[in-house]
Amino acid sequence: MKKNRFRIFLTLLFLGLSLYFLYPTYKDYQFNKEISNLKNAQDSAAFFDKYSNDILKARDNRIKLGLDLQGGMYVIMEVDIAKLLNDLAKKQDDILKQVLNATSEQTKNTDEDFVDVVEVKLREKGLSLKAYYGEIRDEESTVKSTLKTEVENAIDRAIQVVRNRIDQYGVSEPVIQKKGSSRLVVELPGVSNVQEVRKLLQGTALLEFKLVIDPQIAVKVMEKINTYMAGGNLDSLMKADSLNNISKNEIKHDSLKIKKDSTSITSTKDTTKKDITKKDTTGNKKKDSSKKNITGKDSIKKEDSNTAGLTDTNLNNLDTNQQLSEEEFKKKNPWFYLVRPQQFQDGSLVWLVKETDKAKVLKILEKKEIQDLIPSEISFAFSNRSSFVDNGEKIYTFYILKKEPELTGGVVVNARSNIDPTSNSPVVYMEMNSEGSADWARITGSNINKQIAIVLDNVVYSAPVVRNKITGGNSQIEGMANIQEAKLLEIVLKAGALPAPLTIIEERTVGPSLGEDSIQKGLYSSLIALILVALFMVVYYHFAGGVADLALIFNLLFVMGIMASFHATLTLPGIAALILTIGMSVDSNVLIYERIREEVTGGKPLRTAIEIGYKKAFSAIIDSHITSIITAIILYQFGTGPIQGFALTLMIGLIANLFTAIVITRIIFDVMTEKGKTSINFG
Amino acid sequence: MQFFHNLHIDFLGKRKVFYIISAVLIVIGLSIFFTKGITLGIDFAGGTEILVRFQNDIPTDAVRTAMDKTGIIGAEIKTMGNERDILIRTAEQGEGSSISDRIKEGLTNNIQGNSYEVLRIDKVGPKIGKELRISAIYATLLSLIAILVYLAFRFEFVYALGAVLGLFHDVLITLGMISIFHVIFPNLNLELNQGMVAAFLTLIGFSVNDTVIVFDRIRENIKLYKNEDILSVMNKSINTTLSRTVITSGTVFLTVFILLLFGGEVNRTFAFTFTVGVLTGTYSSIYVSSAFVVDIKNRQKRSKAPVTGKIAASKA
Repeated sequence: MKKNRFRIFLTLLFLGLSLYFLYPTYKDYQFNKEISNLKNAQDSAAFFDKYSNDILKARDNRIKLGLDLQGGMYVIMEVDIAKLLNDLAKKQDDILKQVLNATSEQTKNTDEDFVDVVEVKLREKGLSLKAYYGEIRDEESTVKSTLKTEVENAIDRAIQVVRNRIDQYGVSEPVIQKKGSSRLVVELPGVSNVQEVRKLLQGTALLEFKLVIDPQIAVKVMEKINTYMAGGNLDSLMKADSLNNISKNEIKHDSLKIKKDSTSITSTKDTTKKDITKKDTTGNKKKDSSKKNITGKDSIKKEDSNTAGLTDTNLNNLDTNQQLSEEEFKKKNPWFYLVRPQQFQDGSLVWLVKETDKAKVLKILEKKEIQDLIPSEISFAFSNRSSFVDNGEKIYTFYILKKEPELTGGVVVNARSNIDPTSNSPVVYMEMNSEGSADWARITGSNINKQIAIVLDNVVYSAPVVRNKITGGNSQIEGMANIQEAKLLEIVLKAGALPAPLTIIEERTVGPSLGEDSIQKGLYSSLIALILVALFMVVYYHFAGGVADLALIFNLLFVMGIMASFHATLTLPGIAALILTIGMSVDSNVLIYERIREEVTGGKPLRTAIEIGYKKAFSAIIDSHITSIITAIILYQFGTGPIQGFALTLMIGLIANLFTAIVITRIIFDVMTEKGKTSINFG
Repeated sequence: MQFFHNLHIDFLGKRKVFYIISAVLIVIGLSIFFTKGITLGIDFAGGTEILVRFQNDIPTDAVRTAMDKTGIIGAEIKTMGNERDILIRTAEQGEGSSISDRIKEGLTNNIQGNSYEVLRIDKVGPKIGKELRISAIYATLLSLIAILVYLAFRFEFVYALGAVLGLFHDVLITLGMISIFHVIFPNLNLELNQGMVAAFLTLIGFSVNDTVIVFDRIRENIKLYKNEDILSVMNKSINTTLSRTVITSGTVFLTVFILLLFGGEVNRTFAFTFTVGVLTGTYSSIYVSSAFVVDIKNRQKRSKAPVTGKIAASKA
């Protein structure tokens, strides 16, 4: 009895957990049904606003559908090492080109290391890697290992660039993964515009240094927009929204200061010969459209005034407004409700936008009427990550920048993150070429105590305050919260300086209707299979068959529950695995029942027969499950995408089956025999 | 209800006949496989494949003409399941503005009054294709080795060898059957793709599962019937497990057969491969794996004086 109590407890525990993990999937399904029942777009927008938290939570925790079921794009990209090495070389001559082409051809079908082959081929021509990638004093082996690291790091830069763009493009639940040392897997659910995505993924990254507009000017522009919107215009853009206060969190500013003694910055290869074209391939057409009438660079007055005066003038009424009720504030200041000004003791000013409002803000800025209010030399950008989190809402910083970049990433020769040994805080060293250094000295010199934003593909990664005039091209950026942030900044700076060229080597697109088709067919066949197998079991084993069917249903429930808890993805082959699980899961019960029948025929009393039946069938069940699990694991290791879905589902099904077929059915029989039943119908 | 009760069929007595049947089937199947071959799917061959659904039925010739006009020569064009779904496949991958865009353009420009919707586009580079081929072979071999090791540990090396031999048999027979069906019913669109590899690995799992259950009973019966020779112990074991074998194989067969009928085009290759696999997997447990063990044990007995399955008994 004690044993049974524990088993019952386990069963109920698993059942509860499964239902708990499956609940979001059910909820998500419900929400989708309700939304699709709503007639017009306004209603569904209101519905979404009302339940947005629940909807998003359900969506996050539901069982994910693979691309083959919901449609989307799956892309594998590879760093074009030949192109990278060509870009890295000090001189690009015909011999190098020949060698790189020959190496590409040769390594296409082998596992040889690209750099190794290039070395051999250069040597055949009486040359060395050093001739192209090193200085005279460098050791050939050091040059080689630096090159190899460079190749390995390229993929990290590529990932950062791709992630940055996809985030801006606005795909829900994208997957961006590193695969091996030079590959990148990108999954974009729901996307079907192949050309656009291809451009998005393969375009050259654009790194820019842009001046952050003086707060006075920024405030004026923002107020113009606010006044315009408060006048009842663009009301349609302002939908009902949950109200959250933005707390006055302290935001740390990065500070950029000179480091005259730059011995810690090593001089590496000159990689700045190539020209970073200013092609805006980020898919951010909104910004593109505003790029008209770029006038003189210096049309913005550069006042070295301290910003303290701001509080007394422009922003005074804003502060009092904040004491109004949220509703009133929103009505009077619709723009400042979306883009909240936040002033700090030192007089600096930041603009904050909730993650959920980002799209809305961009949409408003896109409007022609608003565009007319904005001076042509101003552009806008968001921070790359949320500056802080308030009431569970991510808050991004909104930057008002000078449109014309001061410098582009081409001048950056090198970047390196480190921990400053004296202050023990993270720091990024940035090195520029001579041409860039001269400009940089001029720019920093005339913008002391102002912020210069480091912008990659129109996303601001950092906006350090200039402390000194920086001559010599060696800068040091500090004030990052941790080493990870510094590392990211290093990658961003390098991504602009040395783009990692990517080629698409595999690309799969599934249209939405095929996915629907597949789901329907998959569910349809699962259901038929389930019903037929269940029916057969009852016909053949009578009461015991019903017990096995119960175990089967538990099994399916557990499999789905485990998948939901893992955030695993259900693919079409995954459904096939589910069907197979239905077929296989009765096997264990068949084994046990056949044994019990044998024992009963041999004259044993029911209770003993059940005991022996379970005991003797156990070794066969274990061995057969383990061998099947072995093949499923191997399949998972070698397969890709959908096939992995199959292997994973099968594996979970097999493991769940060990419990449902052996433990759950046993509970029922044990309880029955304990209650004095001497005959159970085994058919 | 009970299908089999108290059976005493001499399964293994006539094993030589079945050796011949298996051998003949494998030879026929493989000779068709090697002469006619089997279509390599895009996963392994590389290339571009695009599946479109037209508003109305469309003859493949019209699509071919459209492709010829666009300059896409030698593309494979076939219907998928019905006259509206057309699959276009070409070996080219196209750089940059890829070939799939050209195909779409060609369809839009040259086929009037019958709009289409893209269901699926696959583009696999030659490098990936080759890698997938290699990993498929590795996966198959590795799982065979893993099974060999596990069974050698749980049973005896001879049994493990027998089980793996049975698996080889199943893979070869299934491959042959796919080739034969592919030649007779080209409309089934069977091709060697990742789904088929998954099916092969699953059938390996299923087949060994079935073999293990028979072996498990042999392991048990050897201890019970110490004085009987291996052939009769094995026959007994096969007879007693037959009921379970038929029921399990039956239910699994039923489920994959339903998948084959209703699961749609995408799962078809998997379902077909596995349907054949269930049949041969069940058969091979008896006539390949068990039969092999009998023959080896008998040979050992002949060369090594009277040992009656004691090795197995002591190990198990």
